[in-house]
Amino acid sequence: MSSDLDRRLRAYQGRPAACGTGKDPVNAPMIRHWCEAIGDRNPAWAGKEPLAPPAMLQVWTMAGLSGGPPVDPPGGPSGSPPPSALPELTALLAESGCTAVVATDCEQEYLRPLRPGEVITFESVIESVSPRKKTRLGHGHFITTVMEIRADGIPAGRHRFRVLRYAPGAPPEKPAGPRPERPRPVVNRDNAGFWDGVAERRLLIQRCTACGRLRFPWLPGCAACGSPHWTTVESAGTGTVHSYVVMHHPPFPAFDPPYAVGLIELAEGVRMISNVVGVEPGRITVGMPVRLEFLSAGEGQLLPVFRAVEPGRRMLPPMTVPITRTLIVAGALASRDFQDVHHDPEAARAKGAPDIFMNILTTNGLVGRYIGENFGPRAVIEKMAIRLGVPNYPGDTLTLTGTVAEDGDPREVTVTGVNALGRHVSAAVVLREAGR
Amino acid sequence: MSLRIPDRLGGRAAIAGIGATEFSKDSGRSELALAAEAVRAALADAGLRPGEVDGLVTFTMDTSPEITLAQAVGIGELSFFSRVHYGGGAACAVVQQAALAVATGTAEVVVCYRAFNERSGRRFGAGAQRHQPSAEGVALGWVLPFGLLTPASWVAMTARRYLHVHGLRPEVFGRVAVSCRRYAATNPAAYFYGRPLTLAEHAASRWIAEPLRLLDCCQETDGGLALVVTSLERARDLRHSPAVIRAAAQGAGHAQEMMTGFYRADIASLPELGVVGRQLWRSTGLGPSDVQVAILYDHFTPFVLMQLEELGFCGPGEGAEFVAEDVLPLNTHGGQLGEAYLHGMNGIAEAVRQLRGTAVNQVAGAANVLVTAGTGVPTSGLLLGADG
Repeated sequence: MSSDLDRRLRAYQGRPAACGTGKDPVNAPMIRHWCEAIGDRNPAWAGKEPLAPPAMLQVWTMAGLSGGPPVDPPGGPSGSPPPSALPELTALLAESGCTAVVATDCEQEYLRPLRPGEVITFESVIESVSPRKKTRLGHGHFITTVMEIRADGIPAGRHRFRVLRYAPGAPPEKPAGPRPERPRPVVNRDNAGFWDGVAERRLLIQRCTACGRLRFPWLPGCAACGSPHWTTVESAGTGTVHSYVVMHHPPFPAFDPPYAVGLIELAEGVRMISNVVGVEPGRITVGMPVRLEFLSAGEGQLLPVFRAVEPGRRMLPPMTVPITRTLIVAGALASRDFQDVHHDPEAARAKGAPDIFMNILTTNGLVGRYIGENFGPRAVIEKMAIRLGVPNYPGDTLTLTGTVAEDGDPREVTVTGVNALGRHVSAAVVLREAGR
Repeated sequence: MSLRIPDRLGGRAAIAGIGATEFSKDSGRSELALAAEAVRAALADAGLRPGEVDGLVTFTMDTSPEITLAQAVGIGELSFFSRVHYGGGAACAVVQQAALAVATGTAEVVVCYRAFNERSGRRFGAGAQRHQPSAEGVALGWVLPFGLLTPASWVAMTARRYLHVHGLRPEVFGRVAVSCRRYAATNPAAYFYGRPLTLAEHAASRWIAEPLRLLDCCQETDGGLALVVTSLERARDLRHSPAVIRAAAQGAGHAQEMMTGFYRADIASLPELGVVGRQLWRSTGLGPSDVQVAILYDHFTPFVLMQLEELGFCGPGEGAEFVAEDVLPLNTHGGQLGEAYLHGMNGIAEAVRQLRGTAVNQVAGAANVLVTAGTGVPTSGLLLGADG
């Protein structure tokens, strides 16, 4: 039965998905609204002759609130567009119970920047329809479409987009919401200063004012000279893995085994236990360089953790984005995405989510903003591929971190965004640093 | 015993009685009942009546208070009662406490005991996620939020560094597991009686806290064990030939922690046991080559290798090769990996049997037996010898 469905689904591969002309040409007001929503202050997108941010590529193809078929290309070269097979495919999946949809992946190639006044035309085909998969959201099928985008008739970009059409669990297999909290730090008067520092995103080391020795863990006296007098120094946040453990058993609700715990030797010479993140546990080595960052581990609890840097790469500074309701709604509307789960809490709850959540176009925009903040307005993004993990709900905080290859042009950048639920996005970006 | 001058304890007290319950995964009785049963057995072994006991020593972790145990066993007035802290690190130190009391005349007959339902009750391996904000809780608390929550995980951090420093692979830990299980296979009291192990089976066992596999971790046990300590003179009049306490020592190192000793200069060693070893050798004038049997606390295999190195049986990083060479009978009861996990107390009982000549895996001519307590924590050790 299911294999019969799979066979029918496979028949949609290669059929047209959408074809048409963007409802508005590329224009400065939409660019400005979008930049304001995303918080993108890249000067390349402003001024008298703004360029469109590459992460807006899909925005120009969106149908908007009125929905309906895309506008036919007026007297376009291909005449009247072929009918889309997507409505039929969507109906077939809905019949099989897959009534909900969520975007999971977006891969874009940018052939040239878009400028106001250019008319966008696009053609997309259904690249693949997956057999039924079990996912965290429920059973469903991944549908991948590939869209060729032209501006004023000249190729401007390619957009590969994957959505999951799934049968929402009723009731959901796992109640939505934050995972159980990690064990809290044990705090008393002797070490409160350390955790106060962590709350301000500072890693403080005690320093004996009598003999000058740095010490960790925190104690009310110096093991070297016995003096009770001390001050603190702030760690520069760099270090190496002195030893590490990969935890498998027994399971603890707040952790996903296998996970890595490291003994970090800070550049200042003291050691502390923390987590090693940003690298598969199996690729950690003793001596690997790491850099401090702060992980939000539940209500009001930050933890210092260490991101591993693989050889030949360097870290990018983190960017923290408060996930406000305004950001989610403004980002969705500025990207012409009127799916109700991104602005209507009631509708989101009806589809099994605890609240509204950020759309993929906004996440794409935030990754683009992170690249701009790190590489400046002259950097040109050639490709950007993102994969979504856990959702961004209001009240959370998204922290983007990245690494970049030390050499090469174009350069390859990886970006990871985590929130309190886990990994929200992984992205691979290819850019030319001084392309403009 | 002192760090700087030889002590005068050696030869003044002896272990005169040993007693144990069966070792199981579910005892079906209370920890107090297990303790009382073990104490009665040890007194019967020594040929002493409960009324002759005037001192009791146990671990701070034990749930059976000395005064309650005394009532349950029929022991009357006590002139000495004491407890030793730091988990399995207390094992040999309870005997040291008893010997000190006997040597100074504080008590005449002291019973050391430890009993728990560690398998069917609260399992140490299940990990702890919460601690009180005491100094001890804070010390352990530095690692909890990061998911380092079990004894295996704390040892694994040291074990990884050990492998790195010496360029070894985790499979070398299998030497210890195979050796212990070989002895357990011929010990009817052992949980793994009749079940030896191969290196391949060790290497195929699943990861617990990498680089530690399941078979690098000792078992978990329900049971009780007790030891009777009295003066050497009195012991000579009792049923068995005395196991003379030639030396007893405790040790804590610089920057000592409780299982989380990650901040000291070299984490690929066990300096607390170095403190113990230096005292034992100096006090007795003996060295590694004078020992016929070693009972080294085997909660986790890597720490057995590091103990051999710390005590001078072999050089740093050579522990696995040393075990493979099989020149020193090691954990002849099967250890805690093979016989039972009784917080090290069953190892002391095995040392006594070797000196009496009654061990199931008897080593001919065993005259000096070294016993250690749990390492990675403040620890202790004993050098026991045959009388005469």
